Amino acid sequence: MNLRQPKISRRKSKWLDWIPLLPFLLFCLVIMVLPLFFMLRGSFTGSEGQFTLEHYAKMGASIYAKSFRNSILLSGLTAILGVLMGTVVGYFICRLPNQRVQELVTALCDVTSNFSGAPLAFAFIVILGSNGVITLAFQKYLNWKIYPTFSIYSFSGLILAYLYFQLPLMVLLIIPAIAGLKAEWREAASGLGASSRQYWRYVGLPVLAPAITGGLLLLFANAFGAFATAYTLTVFRYPLVTLQLGFLLTGEVFRDPGAGDAMGILTLLLMGISIFLYQIAAKRGRKWQQ
Amino acid sequence: MKKGSAFSGLAIGAFLFYMLLPILATYAFSIATRWDRSILPEGLTFEWYKVAFNDKWFTIVFKNSLVLSISTVIASVLVIVPTAYWVQLRVPKARSLLDLISTLPFAIPGVLLALGLIRLYARPPLMLARTPAMLVAAYVIFTMPFMYRPVANSLEAVDIRTLTEAAQSLGSSWGRTFREVILPNILPGILSGGLLVFATIFGEFTIATFLVGARYKTFPMQLVYFTRRDGRIASAYSVISFSIAWISSLILLWVATWGAKRTSHGSLHRKKDRPKGAVGD
Repeated sequence: MNLRQPKISRRKSKWLDWIPLLPFLLFCLVIMVLPLFFMLRGSFTGSEGQFTLEHYAKMGASIYAKSFRNSILLSGLTAILGVLMGTVVGYFICRLPNQRVQELVTALCDVTSNFSGAPLAFAFIVILGSNGVITLAFQKYLNWKIYPTFSIYSFSGLILAYLYFQLPLMVLLIIPAIAGLKAEWREAASGLGASSRQYWRYVGLPVLAPAITGGLLLLFANAFGAFATAYTLTVFRYPLVTLQLGFLLTGEVFRDPGAGDAMGILTLLLMGISIFLYQIAAKRGRKWQQ
Repeated sequence: MKKGSAFSGLAIGAFLFYMLLPILATYAFSIATRWDRSILPEGLTFEWYKVAFNDKWFTIVFKNSLVLSISTVIASVLVIVPTAYWVQLRVPKARSLLDLISTLPFAIPGVLLALGLIRLYARPPLMLARTPAMLVAAYVIFTMPFMYRPVANSLEAVDIRTLTEAAQSLGSSWGRTFREVILPNILPGILSGGLLVFATIFGEFTIATFLVGARYKTFPMQLVYFTRRDGRIASAYSVISFSIAWISSLILLWVATWGAKRTSHGSLHRKKDRPKGAVGD
């Protein structure tokens, strides 16, 4: 034992020690928790202040149901495509012989996963808008008019624009997992007579599984909550959940506060579950990445 | 083997093409005289930048976004850093609570946060929701994971208990211990977090539009306005936006390497500092 018992470290935390945390906790309560709590309450409160489920029942109406369907479809599809393509690209990046090139490509992913919103949407209008660079190139050299089959202002365009920020995010998620696949495991497997296929089936994929499921969940939430990209491309014309929420917010008078609350709570539930499960997967994945 | 490497080259090439083309095309578009009827730009010009800079709104929105980003960074440091330090030092029990709170914002889309704040605080007698101050408060919540994670990690990386004890047994006051002993040790974490927050807020469109809207126009709002009015000026705005994101990321990488050297942890370890979560918008 030390000569002088230090005052700080070895004492137990007492309730008094929680007091300096109050400003922070209060801040989170006022700005984050209370607004969401009142949203929850509002979603169950009718016009007379009585308890009701009518706002949730309204979610079956075509515009809300369509928004949820489109949002889930867009997020799910770009999550699946992002995970598949990101895993392949991440694998090849890890196998690049040149360390510097490897770092450069990873840095590019770091930057591009943050390019989203209005400038990204505009960049896609530049290349794939009705007079975009690629649109014109296709027309001139391949005599192929991509409009109106494809349009950057519709679902097909949204997929392309969303993938732009989904893909590098997945690459960043999968690279540490792939780097965690030790060369010795592969050697040991082949030394014991395992084929390459068996190696992936019983060693490779199980080790990558948490990163892949985690990636699916995180990418889904990432796309579901996005607003600015879709807004810049489609304004409010294409029904998505976040756009619909934004539309309810426009103007000083609320169009339908109860419906907005119900939609908000469902969104929160969907994203909360995705992020929560992602956290579990990420924790599990860290086991292999010391 | 040969076939494999050809395929891998193709895959990485396609990936780079997809990642770089929209950005490079926007840069080119912003200095092209006309580029909507031919494959290559018809000529080069800086006219669109001149038009953009000469617009009186340019200075206003640039300044507004700068003020918002810097205020958010400062507020975020003030709210989060002392709390994270105190929890690490005295209330280890609160760690999991703080971890939970700091990941919650990943599950709250910006438009939802704006909706909640307006519904609660935009009615009399409070009428606070539509002020820039409320916007900064919302931004501190929105970017909390970006600030909290790197700061918490760097607090864990150095033995702050021993440092605090050592400083105090030498007679240093709380304030002085925090300023002169703890702060320099966790500076790389604070800088990483601050840069991420800065870059995120400078490009943030959604919450700003719904909370304050035209009362306090920001750079991204003006960008969106020009995407519908004049694509060439929008391209100049986009280029500036992209450039700020590039520069912040480069400084961030540099800070991460510097921090890794200082705390003698491998750079791979440091890279995990980067909080991964919902970043798309």
